[in-house]
Amino acid sequence: MTKLEFPEVDESLYREVLENGLTVCVVRRPGFTKKLAYFVTDYGSIHTDFLLDGQVYHAPAGVAHYLEHKMFDMPGGRDVSAEFAAWGANTNAFTSYDMTAYYFSCTDHFPECLRLLLEFVSTPCFTQESVEKERGIIDQEIGMNLDSPDSVVFDELMKAMYSSHPIRVPILGTGETIRQITPQVLNQCHRAFYTPQNMMLCVVGDVDPEEVAAIARQMLGMEKREAGRKLRPWQEDMGCLRQETSRAMEVAMPMFQMAFKCEPVGRGDEAIRQEMVADLAAEALFGESSELYLKLYEEGLIDSSFGGGFETIDGCAMLMCGGDSEDPRAVREAVLAQGARLAEEGLSERRFQRMKRSALGRRIRDLDSFDGTCFRVCAYHFSGFDYFRFPEVYRNIQKEEVQSFLRRVVQAERCALSIVRPLE
Amino acid sequence: MMQTIHLLPGVTLRVFRDTRFKQGCLSFQLAGPMNKAESAMNALLPSVLLRGTNRCPDLRSITERLDTLYGAGVSPLVRRIGDYQTCGLYCSFMDDRFALPGDRVMGDMLAFLEELLLDSPLEDGGFRGFFVESEKKNLISAIESELNDKRIYAMNKLLKTMCSADTFGLPRLGSVEDVAAIDPAALRRHYETMLRIRPIEVFYVGSGEAAQVADLLTPMVSKLERQVLPLPEQTDFHSCPGRDEVEIMEVTQGKLCMGFVTPITNQKKEFPAMQVLNTLFGAGMTSKLFQNVREKLSLCYSIGSAYYGSKGILVVSAGIDFDKEEKTRREILRQLEDCQAGRITREELEAAKQAIISALRATHDSPRAIEGYYATAALSGIRLTMPEYMAAVKDVTVEQAAEAARSLELHTTYFLKGASQ
Repeated sequence: MTKLEFPEVDESLYREVLENGLTVCVVRRPGFTKKLAYFVTDYGSIHTDFLLDGQVYHAPAGVAHYLEHKMFDMPGGRDVSAEFAAWGANTNAFTSYDMTAYYFSCTDHFPECLRLLLEFVSTPCFTQESVEKERGIIDQEIGMNLDSPDSVVFDELMKAMYSSHPIRVPILGTGETIRQITPQVLNQCHRAFYTPQNMMLCVVGDVDPEEVAAIARQMLGMEKREAGRKLRPWQEDMGCLRQETSRAMEVAMPMFQMAFKCEPVGRGDEAIRQEMVADLAAEALFGESSELYLKLYEEGLIDSSFGGGFETIDGCAMLMCGGDSEDPRAVREAVLAQGARLAEEGLSERRFQRMKRSALGRRIRDLDSFDGTCFRVCAYHFSGFDYFRFPEVYRNIQKEEVQSFLRRVVQAERCALSIVRPLE
Repeated sequence: MMQTIHLLPGVTLRVFRDTRFKQGCLSFQLAGPMNKAESAMNALLPSVLLRGTNRCPDLRSITERLDTLYGAGVSPLVRRIGDYQTCGLYCSFMDDRFALPGDRVMGDMLAFLEELLLDSPLEDGGFRGFFVESEKKNLISAIESELNDKRIYAMNKLLKTMCSADTFGLPRLGSVEDVAAIDPAALRRHYETMLRIRPIEVFYVGSGEAAQVADLLTPMVSKLERQVLPLPEQTDFHSCPGRDEVEIMEVTQGKLCMGFVTPITNQKKEFPAMQVLNTLFGAGMTSKLFQNVREKLSLCYSIGSAYYGSKGILVVSAGIDFDKEEKTRREILRQLEDCQAGRITREELEAAKQAIISALRATHDSPRAIEGYYATAALSGIRLTMPEYMAAVKDVTVEQAAEAARSLELHTTYFLKGASQ
């Protein structure tokens, strides 16, 4: 494996692309007891349309998440969770818009756990009966999200902002779409996207990197197989479908999410730079050290639940903020006004340097989290970037970039607001 | 690994020195008995302290100060630990080794902490009225927002009902009425009293030496005039008659909560057995509840149990369809009966023990988890050290876990269901 050193953040990363196309990364953490492994596919809820072996597939919404649930089934009724548990390990998985991750954490029996992780994620075993049974569980999960104002306010915002991008549909799909999911659909999606070429294995902990690579070779074989090609049929301009959406629910006070539609950032160094510019822009516009935050907080229009940042997902990006507020519309107007002011007056160099220092320090502190580190190494890898290089990116960002981002993005026509208000 | 230093009467500094981390964390907690008269004030206090100091008079200057300290964080800390409530501040800051030459983050952070704690701007002998009023509004909205997460809301309702005779039934952040009644002068007086009479627990984890941390803190604590009142001992659960409660709301999914009581608290020798029982019964994906109620019967997406060792309370909660209440309830009790009858496989027992031991061992890999464990363990009344605790968990037998299960009695249930039914 190739060893990459990042002395500025006191990290070293071992990496190798195996013969079968799988990227293996190990973040060595000498002296730590915990070991965390992520086996991730570059495939999420929005990738419903794809080309495989010359044929076009349109899978129902919610299939990536359904598949995540069903991967835990093994032939012969083997119980994956119980096998991990017997080694004192914890296993779980999550599905996002553009990634599905399976992971375990353990303190002992790391090689056995790693073998099991690789085995179960690469062993499809879907029967009619078990797929049927899972529907009840996923129905309940969908029901739980329908009762969660945080989920509803976000899902409604996506529906208002995007006209054709599949981010319009919740990650779990809907009660209707999940009824179209069959073992055959799951098999097609697994075949398309769970091939080593489309995946990544990332381990954080005090482990031997060569052993990790050896186990991956042994469990997944050497054969390279083409992954399905994702089709991205959506057409999105920077305008929003609707500027505002509102729903009544059992909540104590109104809550909101608002966002400005941004151009997708793509891949590689330039993309990451754009993302970090946008992060700094979010901080300058409505972060805790901004004039706007102070003003709105002191006026009582926002409280400590307020927060925001820049989000990127395959094919879309947005500058967003939200929280509880008695008057979400007034917050929106204030954000727009502050954007206009910043565009005109610019940022002071002192403030800009302080923001960079703060962002850098927070990212360094976040590296203490195994989960956060593993997640970021994987997500940035799929964006074509070594995460631990973030200090050099920050160093090179100029304040003019942040200003021009704000000037371009903070515009009324790019903005949508989603409100969840209490029932009458 | 851990060093305990008594800085002043009732001011304890615990230092967990560890050079592996990229940050240091320090918590400052005032510990008092949980009671209705003080809980709202204790919950409000840290947020008011964080609104401004004489040198940094508003939120913006505070954030700027933290930004200069490489994005350090200070957040309010309000905890319930058995019969006690603690309040204070939690700081996390980048380790000095990443800072530019000449910068010392920890030293500056602790100087800032002193300002936040001891140099608030005052008005007419009280905290600034504007700060207090606006934080009262925020706290009230935080209390009311508990309604937004129906699982937490349902659990709080269950605990409130089953602990109506115990401090454990008091809301952690106080009630809306109690918060609304706080005035800036009374809050200031309360704070000054706390600083004088309440035990102070300071916990640090990071690369600094204990002596260095003590040196940095001594000037601050020396400013306090202390007349410490020792805390009363933690008490067992104070029971009241149980109830079956149903609440109707506009929701899609029902929430069923069942509360059990046991004489086994964290001070008893059976405590490790109860932890093992809770884990195999309802904690995690391999538990009996998850495997049977969710996986075999598909009755729910979420199900789990939690054991509050300080009071001897075990709660089960499940998110279900409204018409599955009876069936789910029966199934939960049936799983418990299996535990009581000792129908626990070797695998279930070993997995539960392993899960607890792994979690305890992994505690030492995260600064936040280290703080969370050690800064509360001393107050919680738990008498075992971590190695003793792990050893005791290892020794738990099926019969001991079954005995722990037999000590559980169903006390109260709460069901949140939709208006449509």
